[in-house]
Amino acid sequence: MENNNPLSPHLQIYRWHISSLVSISHRFTGIINFLAIILICLWVCLLFLGESYYNVLSFFLNSFFGKFIILALSWSFSFQILSEIRQLIMDLGYGFELNTTRVTGLIVIFGSIILTILLYLVGKNFI
Amino acid sequence: MVQLNLPENSKIKKGKYHKDKTGSKNIRKVNVYRWNPSIKENPSIDTYEVDMNNCPSKVLDILNKIKNEIDPTLAYRRSCAHGVCGSCAMNISGKNGLACITPHSEIDGDIDIYPLPHLKVKRDLIGDLDGFYKQYKSIEPWLKNTSKLESSEILQSKKDRAKLDGAYECIMCACCSTSCPSYWWNGDKYLGPAVLLQAYRWIIDSRDEERKERLKKVADELKLYRCHTILNCTSACPKGLNPAKAIAEIKKMLVTANI
Repeated sequence: MENNNPLSPHLQIYRWHISSLVSISHRFTGIINFLAIILICLWVCLLFLGESYYNVLSFFLNSFFGKFIILALSWSFSFQILSEIRQLIMDLGYGFELNTTRVTGLIVIFGSIILTILLYLVGKNFI
Repeated sequence: MVQLNLPENSKIKKGKYHKDKTGSKNIRKVNVYRWNPSIKENPSIDTYEVDMNNCPSKVLDILNKIKNEIDPTLAYRRSCAHGVCGSCAMNISGKNGLACITPHSEIDGDIDIYPLPHLKVKRDLIGDLDGFYKQYKSIEPWLKNTSKLESSEILQSKKDRAKLDGAYECIMCACCSTSCPSYWWNGDKYLGPAVLLQAYRWIIDSRDEERKERLKKVADELKLYRCHTILNCTSACPKGLNPAKAIAEIKKMLVTANI
């Protein structure tokens, strides 16, 4: 017999925690990074086709929108790498106490923003 | 495919508003999920104005007060009222917990009470836990020891006994499992934190002789590895246990054990 009773609300009512936020962001940035690597490969491929082709993408990446995308990707990569380090430590069985997960989660969130700013400053001043 | 929205028959409507009749100055609004199987309608949220001057400190006391004084049709599970039986597990203002040990003074604003998330509702705050219990049974949560005679005592060192601390205290209230998004999307196959914590409890028991078989049984892409360390389970557990860590330990054992 099929159960036609209603399903109790879940995602709609459950409060967000730092750890759940980091977990879902890890997944999203993973998908974004996957797409970003395709973009980077494309950029490298254009090198083989000659200067004019390369310039087209360079022009795009130097525009305001392009810069925004680069900055967003820097954040996405920073987040992914910090979150992955946290994940690796957890795979070793450490850092599961509630307060520790909160602190490491906050380190990932704020660390990724700081890392993005550092990447931006390094890119702007040295490259 | 993951269904993020509620199905059509589960969408929540606005329900009745029960105004306070005591004339008390200290009123709190309590929003409670209601669904009656004998009325073919969608679930609704009823709002109760509760007189807090004559209400003890826990969320369960509010529910008892509503049932006794305002609306006797409200249905919910409760028994011991001391956080031991695990009957009154529900979602209180966005977090799973036992109503009997959750103080209402810790909640800001209106109090929202829902059944445990992503369960088939039987009535009001009562969710269907049959699947959860079936999964618990599937890990065979009893001691398996064939080499010792039934009449003899199986000794355990203090050190081995200490390994069970943090695992044996589980009361199977389902707060953790129903807080886990992975369990919401794959609850039919993924065992969920509560059952995996119990699986761990029997795997590490020094008196049990089927450690390898137990490990082999749980080593499954869907049964175990759907845990993505979201850690909602650990933050929900009303007994302060850590199912996420137990799952990580099982994963670790599977990497190191020769099975």
